[in-house]
Amino acid sequence: MKNVAVFGYNRLSFEAISRLDKELYQITVIDHDPAKATLARENGFETANIDFRSDDDLKLIGIGAHIDTLFCFFDTDSENVFLTLSARALDKQLNIVAIVDSPESAEKLLAAGANKIIDPYEICGRKIHDMLKRPDINDIFDHTVFGRHDLHLAEVTIPENSYLENTHVTELQLSSQYNLILIGIVNKQVSEQLHFVVEEFDRRLSVGDILVILGPSREIRAFKKDVENEFCKI
Amino acid sequence: MLAKLIVYCAYYLKSADWYRSAKLFFYDLLENSHSRKKKYFDATMIALLILSVIFLIYDIEHEDSKMGGYFELAILMVFIVEYCLRGWIYSDTYKVIIEEYEKALYLNLDFNLLGVFRKAFVRDMEYITSPFAIIDILAILPSYRPLAILRIFIIFRLFKLFRYSNSAKLFADALASKRFELMTLLIFTCFLVFIASVSIYMFEYQATNSGIHNLFDAFYWTIVTLATVGFGDITPQTTGGRWVTIFLILASLGVLSFFTSILIAAFSEKMLSMRESRTYAQLERYDSFIIICGFGRVGQEIARHLQNDRQKFLIIDRVPERIELAKKRGYLAIESDASNNEVLINAGICRGASAILCITGDDVINVYVTLTSRHLNKNLRIISRANRHDNVNKLYQAGADNVIRPFEIAGLLAAEFVGQPVAFEAISGILHNQTETVMESVLVSEKSPLDNQQIGQLDLQQRKLTLLGVISDNPIHLKHKNKYQVKQQHFYFNPEVDFILRHGDMLVLLGRKYGIDHFRDQVEQRRLFSRKPK
Repeated sequence: MKNVAVFGYNRLSFEAISRLDKELYQITVIDHDPAKATLARENGFETANIDFRSDDDLKLIGIGAHIDTLFCFFDTDSENVFLTLSARALDKQLNIVAIVDSPESAEKLLAAGANKIIDPYEICGRKIHDMLKRPDINDIFDHTVFGRHDLHLAEVTIPENSYLENTHVTELQLSSQYNLILIGIVNKQVSEQLHFVVEEFDRRLSVGDILVILGPSREIRAFKKDVENEFCKI
Repeated sequence: MLAKLIVYCAYYLKSADWYRSAKLFFYDLLENSHSRKKKYFDATMIALLILSVIFLIYDIEHEDSKMGGYFELAILMVFIVEYCLRGWIYSDTYKVIIEEYEKALYLNLDFNLLGVFRKAFVRDMEYITSPFAIIDILAILPSYRPLAILRIFIIFRLFKLFRYSNSAKLFADALASKRFELMTLLIFTCFLVFIASVSIYMFEYQATNSGIHNLFDAFYWTIVTLATVGFGDITPQTTGGRWVTIFLILASLGVLSFFTSILIAAFSEKMLSMRESRTYAQLERYDSFIIICGFGRVGQEIARHLQNDRQKFLIIDRVPERIELAKKRGYLAIESDASNNEVLINAGICRGASAILCITGDDVINVYVTLTSRHLNKNLRIISRANRHDNVNKLYQAGADNVIRPFEIAGLLAAEFVGQPVAFEAISGILHNQTETVMESVLVSEKSPLDNQQIGQLDLQQRKLTLLGVISDNPIHLKHKNKYQVKQQHFYFNPEVDFILRHGDMLVLLGRKYGIDHFRDQVEQRRLFSRKPK
């Protein structure tokens, strides 16, 4: 189970938390406004009453120890930058996702050590532009991948002793075998970059490669199970 | 009997379509500043006016020019017809008749035809005495040749130009808005002229070498001095006269500076609306554009994208600083309240707007603008922003086609990123054209080579394209598995090789932009080629 610490309880963090699977993630909410902290508690989240300015308090809730992901979702950029900086100093491996209000703060957050910057206004603007420019594709994604329908994007890492080890991409035939579409592959040993399948020459898969796939969750589960199976044959 | 006939005629006109459409046509032609017809009409009238003045001047030098005479007559007819049509448009006499008739019927009184005529006459007088109508009639007068003095009114033909030029109208409006100040100044100036004229007359009349021989000379000298022109043709000879001059020069400096300040104040106030009208004029040249209500962070982001796409758009915001920012970036922007019907109509919501985006940070305004827009245009695409979850349904109720929640999308992406960062980056990269690989749709049009073809025959792998699915509303496909309902259509994810495409279907492809474009071009070329033999 992964541990997520959420700083700032507001509309955005509420949406983000509600999307996370409660069985896979242990979530702790922290807000310096007692009213918001109480609201989070009433909504069934575990809360902690700490001061984010103090490193000791941060350590107390597990930053630098068991916390894997940190959401810096305070309303002001300066607080998020401060928190990001403090947390990064405590844990080099921590996955920090920060929200940004003013676009010029993005660079500061990245410099402070955030892994991912979320700019709600920029995302919203891009989204509306997409709605205008290509409504069909936008609708499909809203309804299927991000919406209610059971169509998901997933990433599958090839474990050791998997039957996929040393097989070629063309041999996979995910669309006929599993009703899945392979979008791309990340070769972890080379880089973090995703290579789209359509562009690739037939290449051999190795342990640690990440396959990015699209399909119904049942098929994704079945595929994930088979990937871990050494004796499964195509 | 006569009254009955008149009332009958009034009711007939009220229900007559031809009458209404004729009136609308002439209204568009003469008065509707947003109509294209008016623009052409104004240009024609300006040309006619200039020509008429040229002919009249020519006529002064060359008596009895026949061609000039005919031309003058033709222009005169146009002016008279225009004058009458404007009078006709100005008021609806039949409405007055019906109103009076129904009032009399309701109150059980006799229908007083004389009273109706009086009312109609008052309305007509309103038109006749309006400044533009007076200019119009004065512009017609010079054509009455027997009275040569009327030719002086030739100048009114040029005044008539004001009617056809918006900037001249704004100039007049600017002056009219400062009527009180100008009036005060005029009264003061009149006093000054009177006092100075009489004083200089008194001092200078009997002086030797004096240029002032009568009161008109004194008046002329006063005006010339007051205007700070001072030709020097009349100079005061007596000490008293010189004192009057000193007094007049100082006072006239005050008058002129006061006048200038009034003008500047009036123009700076009018400047905003002048700029606005220029924006509207520019907007009228666009056939299709998007209205963005709210130029906050979201609005700025959209404007940037639309600018890159070379898509035309108009920004409406109430905050002056934001409008200033928009203008600085070279966007078309109006500082106004988008919840006002008139603002949206002027912005072309019923004319060339293809979509409106209600994206302010205030849900109350967004709902209101959405409702107003839907009320004004039934077919417009409306995308609205809901800042609170509870307001989503209200926006749909108000008539929005799509509602977007910035915090929900951002939250969703944050959660998606935590779970699967690689997949998330991949898909957001594709969706937002940040990678070389893009996702686009290709339409299967009628008589396209794709029509009636199986997916397996498309040879997509060779073209380095990945087919994600097919969007279709054709019921023939319903037997296939993996279908997802999206609005009125279905998305057939990962269709089987024997899936037969029908026209109207859309292929959702993943690949390089030029790969997809090439595929689309080839399909189109083959479609055109197959048509040729027919």
